[in-house]
Amino acid sequence: MRRRNFLQWLVYSTSVVAAGALPFAINHLLAPAERLLARRHLRPPGALKDDAEFISACIGCGLCGEVCPPRCILFHQRDGGAQVNTPYINPEEKACTLCGKCTEVCPTDALMPVEREKVDMGVAQIDRSACYPWVDRSICGACVSICPLGEQAINFKQWNQYQPVIQDGCVGCGLCVEVCPHPSLPIRIVERSQGSVMRHTVS
Amino acid sequence: MNKSVSNKAGIKKAVPKPFFLWKHFNKLRWLSLTIVFAMLVLIPFLHVYQTYVSAHTYDLLSASEKQIYNTMEWLSSPFVDDPEDQLDVLKGNTWSGTFGGVQLSDPLAVLGQLVSSQAFYWPFILTAVIPVILTVFFGRFYCGWICPATFLYELNSNLAVLLRKSGLHTGNKRFDHRLKYVVLAIGLAVAVITGSVAFAAIYPPAVIGREIYYAIALGGFGSGVVFFLLTLLFDLLVARRGFCRYLCPGGALYSLLGRFRLLRIKRIVESCNDCAKCTAVCEFGLDPLHDEFGQECNNCTACIAVCPTDAMTFYFSPQDIANQGAGHLGRKYKQKNSLFSQENKMAGEE
Repeated sequence: MRRRNFLQWLVYSTSVVAAGALPFAINHLLAPAERLLARRHLRPPGALKDDAEFISACIGCGLCGEVCPPRCILFHQRDGGAQVNTPYINPEEKACTLCGKCTEVCPTDALMPVEREKVDMGVAQIDRSACYPWVDRSICGACVSICPLGEQAINFKQWNQYQPVIQDGCVGCGLCVEVCPHPSLPIRIVERSQGSVMRHTVS
Repeated sequence: MNKSVSNKAGIKKAVPKPFFLWKHFNKLRWLSLTIVFAMLVLIPFLHVYQTYVSAHTYDLLSASEKQIYNTMEWLSSPFVDDPEDQLDVLKGNTWSGTFGGVQLSDPLAVLGQLVSSQAFYWPFILTAVIPVILTVFFGRFYCGWICPATFLYELNSNLAVLLRKSGLHTGNKRFDHRLKYVVLAIGLAVAVITGSVAFAAIYPPAVIGREIYYAIALGGFGSGVVFFLLTLLFDLLVARRGFCRYLCPGGALYSLLGRFRLLRIKRIVESCNDCAKCTAVCEFGLDPLHDEFGQECNNCTACIAVCPTDAMTFYFSPQDIANQGAGHLGRKYKQKNSLFSQENKMAGEE
């Protein structure tokens, strides 16, 4: 008799916990984790450097996206897993202009205000085997002229040639990626630790 | 004869009539819900307009984009000169937002973030102070008066009434309302284990707020809208307002915070006639007829509005009054007291 009571209690409490966990389980099914392409997945400027920390600090309110003037901040949705509803920027579509509004509006410490020279979203890399001026000395310079940080971030190799060279001041905003006219995007944003030689893949 | 006696007695006892405006608070509540929902739709459109303004691209917009631009310009131009900056005063949703420089966040967001990040970030914690204070005073008022999901859930339960009238079967199962505290606890555990604010994805008002933004500004719903539709179906087919009653973690937190709320609804037993309309109308399955409000009551005033004899009113007290028995205008009370009605009358005259 006592065992029966215990079993009843066990079944009841298990079903209660299962019912309580149901919303989270359904949500997990709706947004499975996916492998992300790093170059299409930049966190907004001023984001916590450790991505796990960023995910745990972000409450997914969407405020950063709602103040973004170029509307470049997107949100992980069905591809998210644990990072569902966290913001990211895909510079191939639309890049950050380093205005810093998102860092001011963020209610949590996920995005913290930071000087635009100190932003660290990554660093640009140029594939010299695809970039027009590097390949055949043609005239371009789109990436150099769009750069919001100017000479300290990207410059021509020589003043009378249009071959762009990334400088130490690049913060990885991705505007150069957005304007690059080459269809295979020889300029991309990578993590600073990944060095300066690009592995070129056509998407 | 009997009726006139009791009426006389009623007047002599000076039954406190409720403040007449309470009767119209349900309309005010619908207005509030509608305004919140309308703002959630309007803010993304205003943001889209801001992006057009900051890009200086009016000539390049398509016809429909121009329409958005023109409409939003017409709406906002009386209030702002420089939409690019000044429209930033109103941003966000009920999960977290800035309203004229004041940042407000849902207490659940703060709790969830506190647990997942395991770090105190004071500026964020302080954004929940105003909602918490209001909840301590007014109880679970957020659920009834502000929550954008409530707006849709109540329309959904109206739909259920229509379906029932047309002969379809809609569910009205009852579970233990303490289940939502289990959901709250599991959500906190999930937040610790996965290191993400797990509530954000399943808390309907947060889902609604951001899904509207995704749909309008980013051109498509996310996974949240599927989840929300499932909760609507749950409410329709299994239990009326089931998600709010039994599963909502935010409702659980607000119930706990508002346990000793000061503003409560009570039944004036002298003018109650036991019609039980209040119990039927209560979205949260409470029983106002038997004075059972408890911490689940969200002061939505639906029972005040529906009462035919004005026997419901607000009062200030940290706890509910005990069951007052049958209403004095009801048949049950009169049958019980008809023998003593003469004595009552005399007592009233003294």
